[in-house]
Amino acid sequence: MTLRIWFQLVKKLVPLFLTILFISWLYNYYGAWDYTIKNIPEFFRLIVEHFTLVIISMVCAVLVGVTLGTMMTRKSMENASSTIMTVVNVWQSIPSLAVLALAYGFLPLIGLSGIGMTPALIALFLHAVAPIVRNTYSGIDAVSKDVIEAATGMGMTKRQILFQIELPNALPVIAGGVRTATAIIVGTAPLAFLIGGGGLGFWIFTGIDLVDTGIMIAGAVPVALIAMLFDFCLARSEKFFISRGVQTIEVETV
Amino acid sequence: MGTMLSLQKVTKIYPGAGHIKAVNELSFDLEEGEICTVVGPSGCGKTTAMKMINRLISITSGKIIIDGKDISRLNTIELRRSIGYVIQNIGLFPNMTIGENIAIIPKLLKWDKAKIDEKVQRLLEIVNLDPDEFRDRYPKELSGGQQQRIGVARAMAGDPPIMLMDEPFGAIDPINRDHLQNEFLKVQEKVKKTIIFVTHDINEAIKMGNKICLLKDGHLVQFASPEEILTHPKNDFVADFVGGDRTLKRLNLFTIKRAMKDNPPTIHQDETIETAQNMFAKINSRYLIAVDGEGVLTGIIDKQGITDKVTHVKDVVSPTEAWLIAHASLKDGLSEIFTHDYGFLVVVDDTKKVLGWLHTEDIKETLKG
Repeated sequence: MTLRIWFQLVKKLVPLFLTILFISWLYNYYGAWDYTIKNIPEFFRLIVEHFTLVIISMVCAVLVGVTLGTMMTRKSMENASSTIMTVVNVWQSIPSLAVLALAYGFLPLIGLSGIGMTPALIALFLHAVAPIVRNTYSGIDAVSKDVIEAATGMGMTKRQILFQIELPNALPVIAGGVRTATAIIVGTAPLAFLIGGGGLGFWIFTGIDLVDTGIMIAGAVPVALIAMLFDFCLARSEKFFISRGVQTIEVETV
Repeated sequence: MGTMLSLQKVTKIYPGAGHIKAVNELSFDLEEGEICTVVGPSGCGKTTAMKMINRLISITSGKIIIDGKDISRLNTIELRRSIGYVIQNIGLFPNMTIGENIAIIPKLLKWDKAKIDEKVQRLLEIVNLDPDEFRDRYPKELSGGQQQRIGVARAMAGDPPIMLMDEPFGAIDPINRDHLQNEFLKVQEKVKKTIIFVTHDINEAIKMGNKICLLKDGHLVQFASPEEILTHPKNDFVADFVGGDRTLKRLNLFTIKRAMKDNPPTIHQDETIETAQNMFAKINSRYLIAVDGEGVLTGIIDKQGITDKVTHVKDVVSPTEAWLIAHASLKDGLSEIFTHDYGFLVVVDDTKKVLGWLHTEDIKETLKG
């Protein structure tokens, strides 16, 4: 028994350790470490910008996505929901870079600046909200009709059914949407630099432009680590928030 | 015991083509503590009739009175909380533990926590599931039969005087269904709820109901006790629906105790064979029932098995399986009689003490009424 637990642990830890080793080696080899130390204030500014981009767009996408997805499952929205789903699906098929470019091109037309943090946030948010809306809608829609009938027949109000039955049971599916959204945001955030949104993309693109691999790696490695950090946090919170009764697959955590 | 539930000319017309009456002027009264099984061919309106009671379906015309109160004047949510509801597909909440599932209505009714915990504990005991083992498990970890027991426990949690059950055992395999039915009847003896029990299975309707409400195309065809429906079906439809074997079905309605003859020919197993011979001479029977000092059945003596060498009863007693407990059904009794060669059955109590004996003639007499 204990042997098996050790084995499991080793199986998880070895790849993680090797990845970190590889990244550190790369980081040191190209002098990214020295560059970062020399530019530590700028490094922190970029980190803060990067986190701001990711977290704000993420929080907005979750709030709006879950609300909209939930509203679409209400009887009164039956007609509108298929239209919204179509829009959401089309929207999600547009590549991230194109979304950024579209935001850059469109926002000035409605009197907003196309350059800076705001358009980057709007683009990230719009792109990330789609999978959350979609999964919230289908997650709630998939809750068994028998469960809803039992709840209604027992005298639960619509609101109680939504918060105590529908949302908790849809949570694994919603969480899937949030994971997809996080992957989109974390993957697109470095591109935000291209429309003046700041973040660690600054060093990556500067490195590319100057053909200086050190600067590029100094930006790329933190970006990769942030992605891993978010994935870890999400998996942890899924374990915490999703009832054991509806967890379908064991959520892998490191 | 007064009238608990009263349906008065309840009618449901679904909007749309034809204005077909799904339920047509249905009226009946139900006493407190009675189980009324609503039965009929599919599409007869039995589920519609039931769902109008907790207003999952609105009434087109007519009145439903619960405990003297017209339900159309009550708040829908409060009404539903005062009515237990069990459906065929159970509908346990997958995100909640068994304990939380049962506690849901008491929580909505704002009971205090100690009272809720105690209720959960007691209900799990009533439905024969170990509270400590099951309280913290999730529905997906339970078998279908276990889940339905929780469904019943959950419906009883708010102490509703009335329960609606929509084919509660319909999705459960026959062996478990029989078991659950018996268990439920035992629970009902303790809790004495007024129950509307929808089923499409006439056998279940006969077994579970004090009253049977037989519907056809939204009309009430016959509302009577199972005994009445089986002996005096109102028309050909009812007779057909209960089946050609309805007399045999009546066997389920009686216990052996009701049909058996008292004072069977018993003899103490330590008696001499002369005593036995004397008894055989007095009564017109090939067999005697041997008992011990406490009156407990030890076996049967066959007159033709007695030879000259035998001196005592206990030398010729052959152990027997031809006995049944007095509260078993006549159907089991009849089957047991045919299984053995004696032509009768020894009827005993829980301690296997002999109470009487049962012949096929006794069964015939009972069925004649």
